[in-house]
Amino acid sequence: MPSDAIVTENLTKVYGKLTAVDHVNVKVASGTVVGLLGPNGAGKTTMIKLLTGLTDMTEGEAWVAGFDVRRDPMHVKQRIGWVASEVILDDDFTAWENLWLQAKLQSLPEWKERAGDLLTYFGLNDRRKDRVKTFSTGMRKKLEIALALLHQPEVVFMDEPTIGLDANTRRMLWDLITGVNKEFGITVLLTSHYIEEADALCQQISIIDHGKIVASGSPSALKARVQSDFVELETSEAVDEAKLRSIPGVTEVRSQGKTWILQVSAAEEVLPHIFSTLKTDEIRRINVEKPSLETVFLDITGKRIDQAGSDVPDYRKFYATMRRARK
Amino acid sequence: MSTETKHIRIASRHLDSASRSVSQRSQFVGLYAREVLRTFRNPWVLVITFVQPFMWLAFFGSSFSGASPALVQQIFHTSSYIAFLLPGVLATSMLTVGMFGSMSTIQDKRFGFMKRILLTPTTKATVYLSKVLGSTTRGLVQIPVMITAAAIFGVSFAGNPLMWAGWILGIFLLGLGMSCFFLAVTASSTDWQTPGVISNFITMPLMFASGALLPLANFPSWMQAIASVNPVSFSALLGRGIVVFNTADWSYLGYLAIFATGMLLAGTAVASRYLKAE
Repeated sequence: MPSDAIVTENLTKVYGKLTAVDHVNVKVASGTVVGLLGPNGAGKTTMIKLLTGLTDMTEGEAWVAGFDVRRDPMHVKQRIGWVASEVILDDDFTAWENLWLQAKLQSLPEWKERAGDLLTYFGLNDRRKDRVKTFSTGMRKKLEIALALLHQPEVVFMDEPTIGLDANTRRMLWDLITGVNKEFGITVLLTSHYIEEADALCQQISIIDHGKIVASGSPSALKARVQSDFVELETSEAVDEAKLRSIPGVTEVRSQGKTWILQVSAAEEVLPHIFSTLKTDEIRRINVEKPSLETVFLDITGKRIDQAGSDVPDYRKFYATMRRARK
Repeated sequence: MSTETKHIRIASRHLDSASRSVSQRSQFVGLYAREVLRTFRNPWVLVITFVQPFMWLAFFGSSFSGASPALVQQIFHTSSYIAFLLPGVLATSMLTVGMFGSMSTIQDKRFGFMKRILLTPTTKATVYLSKVLGSTTRGLVQIPVMITAAAIFGVSFAGNPLMWAGWILGIFLLGLGMSCFFLAVTASSTDWQTPGVISNFITMPLMFASGALLPLANFPSWMQAIASVNPVSFSALLGRGIVVFNTADWSYLGYLAIFATGMLLAGTAVASRYLKAE
């Protein structure tokens, strides 16, 4: 029985012809906040479904809180909490009734004192008798986290917990997640496609793309992997790739339509060469990025995280098809 | 926030989960209560629950009001068509209760609540049984309302308390069996339309090929054959015998018990395998 909070060995999930999770091996130490970072469709939510026993694995093994997910799912479910990307509560119930139902589902004989403590902790105690449908999004998120913590879980899964939230609520939730981890010592596995969220919250990050873990480590270790700066360049006219490659200090050139991504040794040294090589009026936009999780993802996959999702439609291809159909 | 955190008993963390046993009874009570509370917190459900019986009796019960008493007596063997109709209407109303349970299940899947439930140590069978009992309870609420409505329409009832208890048990078993059927066939569905389509498909043959609304004596033989295995008929004929003729044929209750038990066992097996989280 592994002592880490989460362990997977060759965890794989295949839906028809799609391999959503592809031989994933991860170890999550107890008491840490770990992020699964990747674009939409990378396999993050499927990972959570596999680890919580919500869907069957095609191949491999997984242990959560010391229990085998496949052979002992009920023991796993006693020890995990879950916070969804969309808030899932019973809107017709009050905050207290939602907690009551969670206590019933987790077979908790003594729950009222803890439920009261949690409502106090999340600043919802004075609204405990109000129906959830009257709550703001932030309050609903807080209540959802309170539900996830009611049965004193060892691991809490948070699936894109801040998606669709405004900046203030997102920041508030970051504080809560950090607080929950520190105050309760609970292991948190969160999925996100927000770079800054993973950077701010997680002690360890695994980057997932097309169902595979392509890099793992602490945010600082991951950033240290990338020695280069990135210069994103948008030009008004077509530019010869060889011309860009000839610029001193440029180590790699990638094209994304009219946008070029140049991997450079040090941006501040290369920028003057770029301006001297290209005409100033050819440059529509230029953007410099120092090593970050975004550039780590770019370095590993050759794509930006918000462009890598398999479900992101290619509008140019779509419009081209439409034009051809009209002709 | 930091001052409030003192209230949390951090030292006790994880202790409960190591030793806690799962109580399916506790889970069932929570889910069943949710079904019942959610249903009756909806004002439209309440209004329709109370208005619908009056509409049934007013519109359908009045269909023979212009007939001579002798004709009514000849056809229905009682002078009150409403008295004849009441057990049949109560039996028929149980045909659709499962549809509401199915729709509640599909709503839970589509809004993610089924995931919330199945991410706790709750079995699919417990979820299924709570939905089945919840929708059956919803149907049973119509019984006192309908009987009161019939009394207001001037019906006088025969039977004794034991007979009435048996009749109501029969209605419960019919509702239970129908709910089990509906929830089993929609266990893997996430389409809102499915329960309605199934309801439309089965309601008409089960309602009209039964003794719920009209006497079986004048049916053609093929409809009588359907009615002889139709649980709606069992419930209607049991109730009519008690309410109108002061006689109870308990074999109908036995058939209903077999129907409900069979559906419960088959439905639980199907739901345990095919009930989906989303």
